[in-house]
Amino acid sequence: MLATKEAVTGASIKKAIESRDGPMLSSFYADDALVRVIDRNNPPSKPREIHGRAAITTFWDDICSRAMSHRVDLTIAQGDNLAFSQDCAYPDGTKVFCAAMLELKDGKIARQTVVQAWDE
Amino acid sequence: MAVPRPIATRYARSGDVRIAYQVVGQGPFDLVFVPGFISNLDLHWEDEGYSRLLSRLSTFSRLILFDKRGTGLSDRVDTNALPSLETRMDDVRAVMDAAGSSRAAILGASEGAPMAILFAATYPERTRSLVLYAGYAHFHKWVMDPARLQGFIDAAETCWGTGATLQNFAPGRLDDIRFATWWARFERLSASPTAAAALARMNAEIDVRGVLGSIRAPTLLIHRRNDVRVAPDASRYLARKIPDARLAEISGRDHPIWTGDVNRVADLIEEFLTGTHAPPDTERVLAALLVTRVSDTARLGDRMWSERSLRFQETLRLLVGRHGGRIVDQYGDVVVSRFDGPARAIRCAAALRDAAQGIGIASAQGVHVGEIEARGPPSGLTVRVAIKIAEHAGRGSILASRLVSEIATGSGLHFVDAGHLPLDDLDGPLALVEATSEQHLEPACRSRTPASVEPSALTARENEVVALIADGKSNAAIAIELSLSEHTVKRHVANILTKLDLPSRAAAAAFAVRQTGPDGP
Repeated sequence: MLATKEAVTGASIKKAIESRDGPMLSSFYADDALVRVIDRNNPPSKPREIHGRAAITTFWDDICSRAMSHRVDLTIAQGDNLAFSQDCAYPDGTKVFCAAMLELKDGKIARQTVVQAWDE
Repeated sequence: MAVPRPIATRYARSGDVRIAYQVVGQGPFDLVFVPGFISNLDLHWEDEGYSRLLSRLSTFSRLILFDKRGTGLSDRVDTNALPSLETRMDDVRAVMDAAGSSRAAILGASEGAPMAILFAATYPERTRSLVLYAGYAHFHKWVMDPARLQGFIDAAETCWGTGATLQNFAPGRLDDIRFATWWARFERLSASPTAAAALARMNAEIDVRGVLGSIRAPTLLIHRRNDVRVAPDASRYLARKIPDARLAEISGRDHPIWTGDVNRVADLIEEFLTGTHAPPDTERVLAALLVTRVSDTARLGDRMWSERSLRFQETLRLLVGRHGGRIVDQYGDVVVSRFDGPARAIRCAAALRDAAQGIGIASAQGVHVGEIEARGPPSGLTVRVAIKIAEHAGRGSILASRLVSEIATGSGLHFVDAGHLPLDDLDGPLALVEATSEQHLEPACRSRTPASVEPSALTARENEVVALIADGKSNAAIAIELSLSEHTVKRHVANILTKLDLPSRAAAAAFAVRQTGPDGP
């Protein structure tokens, strides 16, 4: 396992995402964290929810297994809240754009909401 | 018809062959769908069931779809040098590489299953999990022996493109004109007759029994108990041979994964791959469906039929509206109307039956209640069940599922038990009732004394039946004499008794004798 001591900051998240480091990303979450994903297939009234660090670890393992590029463009931090936007591309040229809002608690991500759109 | 979604089609290169693929959704993990015998990426979205399946799968995954070499939008194969299953399996890898998928759940349906099995055995590190629907490991053992295969290929050579193969795959949809038409296009746009024969010959070589024990991915097997194409024993064998595989046997007879109860299949796949159930679909509403079928086309001449049919259609529109319903679908001589409650549907059916009689044609109607899509023309299980009930109904009768009578309690409608209807889509036979509610539906002042009933109230066929009852013949004997099923004769007898307001066969016989006199009817 990679180090899990890294603090959750805009810079550390950018580094982990852009290097597709699933174990590092998973280590940023609290045990009872909640990730919600909202997109055209999972509308706001019934978003896809991933509960707990074990499920979130699988989530990041799956996403990081993809041969795609990620670029975190913009990170905004305010107290215990963090937001960033992300540009991603698959090898066949299709693109994904995500905006993520994070709530931190005791230095870990307690709640994250991702809104995403993609080429289809 | 479902509106096709504008999905971009891309091409992966597998050796010298171009494989067409589409990517739908952006769920956290990748799911590769390996289709069966033939496919066409563009056409799938035009079928309600197929579109529903793909949409469901793409809500929780990044769904990667492709046409195997030799079918759909992918390159054709050299029919003189058919590729091995290994080569075709490698197309899955080529598509995954192109789509940037290092690891995916693999869903193999029918002929797609052995390809998925071979992929999972060859690339365990790239197989997140495995779902096999109506799969098999050996073609000749579980799908067709060489003689039947040759018959299938011969038939394909002569009538490919007409939809004639539908009976081999989904006999439950043969009467669904819209689906049968789509299926014929599906044949034409997926393969030429030569390509279809080549694909069938390629599939006949499938035997992956030797690799089953080496599969390490978590595996779910789904098979319909009465699958007409691939025997369920095929999946039971897979369940024994693939380590820790789980088998879900579900009800149903139609083979393609996008026919039958698609939601049940999607639920099983979603639960297996994500560990959770789908959130309840709030886009569905409870509705009562009335399916009205008119017959007598053969008895009346074309012209007379056309005139009467037109009159009936006009009356139908009026009566459905008057009972608070609306016509939601129509094909051939079948009309589907939707109502908010079953009592309204039954009352409308009774009015339609009387109107049809007045016009001089016969109706047969079915009523069922269940969930349907809130928008668009109704489709799916509830509609199919309603249509089956109407097909089962005899001339002039109104059959309904027992659920209808239970919901209509307190409405003043009356029902009698009418046996059971076996349906492939359901776990058990469907209990039926027949609506017998004239006394509540007709004007209260109408006289119902038997003396006022004329033989002309009966249809020509009912007059024939009543005359044979008077001869002391049983239902079975009448069925043989009139070339009808015994069930239809029973229906006629019930209608005759209802119309004449008589308590028994004996009374009907006496009535016939009274009416006919020495010269016969």
